[in-house]
Amino acid sequence: MKTILESIELTKIFKTGKIEVAAVRDVSLKVREGEFIAIMGPSGCGKSTLLHLLGGLATPTSGRVLVDGEEISSGKDAIRTDIRRRKIGFVFQRFNLLPTLSAQGNLEIAQEIHRNGSRDPQHVDEILNLLGLEKKTHHKPSELSGGEQQRLAIARAVINRPAILLADEPTGNLDTRNSMVVLKMIQELNRALSQTILMITHNPEAAGIASRLIEMRDGRIVSQQQEGEWNATEDRMSL
Amino acid sequence: MSAQLVLSNVVSRPMRSLATALAVGVEVALILLLVGLSTGMIRENSRRMAGVGADIVLQPPNSSLVLAASTGAMSVKIADLVSRIEGVKAVAPVYLQFNTSGGMGLVWGIDQESFNRITQGFIYREGTGFQGPDDVIIDDIYADGRELRLGDDLKLMNHSFRVAGIVEHGKGSRVFIPLDTMQRLVGTPGQATMMMIKCDSQSDIAGIQSELGRRLKSYPTFDMSSFAAHIEEANRDFGPLKYFTNTVVFIATLIGFFIIFLSMYTAITERTHEIGILKSLGAPQGYISLLFLKEALVLGGLGFVLGLGLTFGGRFFFQLLMPTLQHKLPPEWLLYTGLLALFSAGLGALYPALRAARQDPIEALAYE
Repeated sequence: MKTILESIELTKIFKTGKIEVAAVRDVSLKVREGEFIAIMGPSGCGKSTLLHLLGGLATPTSGRVLVDGEEISSGKDAIRTDIRRRKIGFVFQRFNLLPTLSAQGNLEIAQEIHRNGSRDPQHVDEILNLLGLEKKTHHKPSELSGGEQQRLAIARAVINRPAILLADEPTGNLDTRNSMVVLKMIQELNRALSQTILMITHNPEAAGIASRLIEMRDGRIVSQQQEGEWNATEDRMSL
Repeated sequence: MSAQLVLSNVVSRPMRSLATALAVGVEVALILLLVGLSTGMIRENSRRMAGVGADIVLQPPNSSLVLAASTGAMSVKIADLVSRIEGVKAVAPVYLQFNTSGGMGLVWGIDQESFNRITQGFIYREGTGFQGPDDVIIDDIYADGRELRLGDDLKLMNHSFRVAGIVEHGKGSRVFIPLDTMQRLVGTPGQATMMMIKCDSQSDIAGIQSELGRRLKSYPTFDMSSFAAHIEEANRDFGPLKYFTNTVVFIATLIGFFIIFLSMYTAITERTHEIGILKSLGAPQGYISLLFLKEALVLGGLGFVLGLGLTFGGRFFFQLLMPTLQHKLPPEWLLYTGLLALFSAGLGALYPALRAARQDPIEALAYE
């Protein structure tokens, strides 16, 4: 299968005065098309930094990141922004919706940015229907529940059919019931639409729906397991 | 959709938007009121000059067409010389003096007999012409504005006058005193600042002007049919007024610039997280800059509309307080101030917009 995302000896060192902290160390990773990867690890192990590097939100100290064959790890903001616009969808723990726009507006602005100005209202309606938000079209984020906001954030992330969806603790702000709904939706996107997904989570149950589990510690990948290799009976959710 | 985001950001912070637009509105109103008042006064003066009924105006050498600024004077005996020119029907020496006591304005010192020959006489609403050296004739607008009646005292040039007549407006000045009195008060006996000349026929004007040029070299003459236009032009180009107007326009534009700058600078701090979201969606720097520039232009546009309201409100207020003040808004200045409001808004938003576009996406997303 085609490689959608590849990191080669990726390292990120933060400097605070004279102190250097390596958040990510020599991480090499390949994500194939249609794969669903979960990355787990304790707080401060470098998961979020890795996600930012893979999504072009930050630049590595050394190493490279290729998204669908294009290098996103270059220092130029314009190039990283362009690849992010065309190929990457983000879902965050804090939802990160634009508060002054309606649900529909949040989707349409993502389309506008992706297509350099043009929109597809029909596709917006399709996505809103698919995610069960068709009656909340004109609601502002503050008028939606946490679960609805995260569903909207996922809708926004996939509305432009990105090559890869990067999710940073998507259920971190949700209760159990809403977490299940959101995870089911993410799983559905992967299964039904073959959406390539890389998800960071603390939640072993959430990680259980992925096809590959990567564990990180101290900025390094310490283990990788394929679906079925980890304790499915304990960790997997019955979705 | 970016337009919707811009508008929703303007609407969702109503007090900030209103305060910013109001400040731009003050900028617009300041300019329009000043330009309107100066234009109104200049046009009103020009109309009243034309209303005198003279065909030619003769001024002393090196005098200014801006009547209030003209300090040159000539002997009234020149009137005799002029009246002997063939085709001249009447000549009236006039002394103009800018008065600052009891309000500002031009006072005309006239010899009523010769002045009447030029103007066909005043149309009296009340009273008569001068009965004594300390009499003053005022027009109806001046009388209404100051609530003056016949017999009332009026202080001009540190001298008390009695209102002897109230006449219909439109003939030269709003305030007239006897020429002798004016000369005495100013300390220039036998002098006048201009001569009003009436010709037998319109066809004589050019010939008489030419004869005046021959006999009184360096004394400028003006055909009254174009005098009003000359006065308007001269006043527009009059240095102090021009500099004053330009200074006010500059300061007002600067105010608009700083208000928008501060408002948009605050906005990008408030909306740092929003900028991070847009960056995570892949919005290029130009897109983010344009969002803030568009918002500033919307505020500038709103400010312009508010400014028009303030201008018309201010004009109404001025006319209530000072009915003699004329306010005439030249249409081209509506366009200029509109462009100035947008220019100051765009310029004020430029740095904040560029700063917003250069935010680090991770820091912006982490901003609480």
